[in-house]
Amino acid sequence: MIVLTPFKKSQYPIIAQCINPDVFQEKSKEEIGNLPVWIGNKKRRLVDLFKVEKNSANSTSITINGDVTQVRRIGWGMTQGEIVVNGNVGMHLGKKMSGGKIVVNGNAEGWAGSEMKGGLIEIKGDAGDYLGSPYRGSTVGMRKGKIVVDGNVGSDAAVFMKSGTIRIRGNAGPFIGFRMTGGVIHIEKNAGTRLGACMIGGKIVVSGRLENIMPTFAIERLKGKVKIEPGDKAVGPFYVFLGDLAENGRGKLFVSKEKNPQLSQYERFL
Amino acid sequence: MSKIDAVTCPVCGCLCDDIELTIADGVVAQVKNGCAMCEAKFFSHNNDHRLKTPLIRKDGKLVPSTYDKAIRKSAEILAKANYPILYGWSSTDCEAQRVGVELAEEVGGVLDNTAVVCHGPSILSVQEVGIPTCTLGQIRHRADLLIYWGCNPWSAHPRHLERYTAFTEGRFKGSEWKSYINKVKAAAGRKKLRSLERIGVLKHKPEQVAPTVSDNKPPAILNKKGRKLIVVDVRKSMTAEMADYFLQVKPGKDYELIQAMRALVRDQELDVEEVAGVPVEYLQQLVDAMISCQFGIIFFGMGLTQSPSKFRNIDVAISLIRDLNMRTKFAIMPMRGHFNVTGANTVFTWQSGYPYAVDFSLGYPRYNPGETTVVDVLLRQESDAGLVIASDPASNFPRKAVEHLVKKPLIVIDPHMNATSLVGDVVLPSEIVGIEKEGTAYRMDHVPLPLKKVVDPPKGLLSDEEILRRILKEVRKIKSKKLEAA
Repeated sequence: MIVLTPFKKSQYPIIAQCINPDVFQEKSKEEIGNLPVWIGNKKRRLVDLFKVEKNSANSTSITINGDVTQVRRIGWGMTQGEIVVNGNVGMHLGKKMSGGKIVVNGNAEGWAGSEMKGGLIEIKGDAGDYLGSPYRGSTVGMRKGKIVVDGNVGSDAAVFMKSGTIRIRGNAGPFIGFRMTGGVIHIEKNAGTRLGACMIGGKIVVSGRLENIMPTFAIERLKGKVKIEPGDKAVGPFYVFLGDLAENGRGKLFVSKEKNPQLSQYERFL
Repeated sequence: MSKIDAVTCPVCGCLCDDIELTIADGVVAQVKNGCAMCEAKFFSHNNDHRLKTPLIRKDGKLVPSTYDKAIRKSAEILAKANYPILYGWSSTDCEAQRVGVELAEEVGGVLDNTAVVCHGPSILSVQEVGIPTCTLGQIRHRADLLIYWGCNPWSAHPRHLERYTAFTEGRFKGSEWKSYINKVKAAAGRKKLRSLERIGVLKHKPEQVAPTVSDNKPPAILNKKGRKLIVVDVRKSMTAEMADYFLQVKPGKDYELIQAMRALVRDQELDVEEVAGVPVEYLQQLVDAMISCQFGIIFFGMGLTQSPSKFRNIDVAISLIRDLNMRTKFAIMPMRGHFNVTGANTVFTWQSGYPYAVDFSLGYPRYNPGETTVVDVLLRQESDAGLVIASDPASNFPRKAVEHLVKKPLIVIDPHMNATSLVGDVVLPSEIVGIEKEGTAYRMDHVPLPLKKVVDPPKGLLSDEEILRRILKEVRKIKSKKLEAA
């Protein structure tokens, strides 16, 4: 196991895409310490910013102890191993990852799990905006894998999502599942506005209150339970909406009937 | 006394190029054809707020200095910085912007223009869904349905209506100026009659109830021939007063309204009776008018880009245009504010690949609004130096961002003393582009136009381009010295 401890909290953004089990694998402590990182516009070595310790020969497991809010691109493109962060973590966590596991015992900034192709990200605190969404201008969203957030999530999560699962145990901001074509999102508490706008396929389940529903969603039926993952079901009853009509979409919104009495007006269409 | 015609006005994104100036004793004496903002700008070259010597802050006070000292000090600040920001650029010429990109790359900073607090969201959505647009000339000659959404050109782009849209005489479409004058005359007549009734000259007649627009009912005029002007806004602005139809949308609900319109264009049925305060029945009539036009255009402003949903509003607005183009011809255009903000986006793009929020800290250009935008960098307190050119962020950025900007060394390049110059550490005065220096600027429809030099600058002043070139040269000198020492 490799343990990284930041010396101090940086004012400048740190780009450290070398913090990755694939890169650390079969490297000695010195080799790891000499890996390049960028702090602001200056190039430094990992050992200049972090205390590097290697506990065992197995180097596919990385633990970061301390606040790394300014450290970006941790676990970029990782395919295996595990990263545990005991503290808050910066932007682009696990970007383009295709395997392995990342656990954050704190909050994560924006673009966590961006363009994810596989693996698991667990965030015990809150997640920022653009969780599992592509970078600006890209239309390639999350393609596989799983993201679990115990806290709240900012806006624009799961944009252009194609497959995979996102579970949000807290509240979610606006524009969750924008232009999604597949996959499942489960929001256990309240969801923000414009949920599933422009979605073409996939499923969004809201067990809490939904602030308002887009006018371009049409009610289809009432359903008692909905499958999230194999062996995992959310219990309703749920209103099932189809949309987004503006895109001729067939995406499904499952909204809790019990928590959303304001949607009872739609029952006349059933 | 001399006269200069066909001068391009360096104020807003319209870049009116028909201004006539009279110059007397090296000073602009008269401005013809321009709006109030145009006049104010041309007269400003001779006012008291003009900076004439470089200033450097010493013991908390700005003291006069020389260009050599101020440029050397600026270069030292930038060369030393770990994460500097270079912001502004929209009110200067493309030539200076080009040097700015070079400087940002040299110092490894974050380069951003005023689009970040303006039409940045438009750019984001254009990158996601593309943009069906055209030049203003095409609109002038062909457009018969003009929609202003979330903008008020009567105040912000005063000659936009007169030069490019409803009140211009195009080759194929006539001006609606006369019908507007008739509307104004009728309103004045009604007022006169009411006043005569009040003083008893006329006997009181039961007043005919004029159709109101507050219930958003589309008037029959929507089906008339000729040009039609529709304004969509949250309040009845001056532009809305002269529109054929004013659609009042609930604040922050534009997104739902446009999505509903898209569904109606696609002949879908909605499960609701009302969207954003507009009955679906009326919305259907509006959509029918849009589909039956020959050539329509939507102009949008801050009402869409900086209200809740930000760039997603533009995303759906452009998608609406895409849907409408399956039935008729439609285009969309952002109402750009500063006279050369389009130029800043264009120059940044052809130099670095990205239109704004370009981060050179890794040695290559990187772009991720939200991460590399100047406002976010300042709010996260990441920068350690700043250069502001041709802009005044101190008066329009969020307070916390300004606090951080002021805390760190700040270089300001501006012809005038503004809020940012007052808090700067090095202040470099410059020539006014388009009045004292010629250059190139891009109109809001991406048409480049030449700016003229009409008067001589105050003695000893340098242009933005020259100042930046000298700072760049000085930065390179400091860096090569450092390398030699290493």
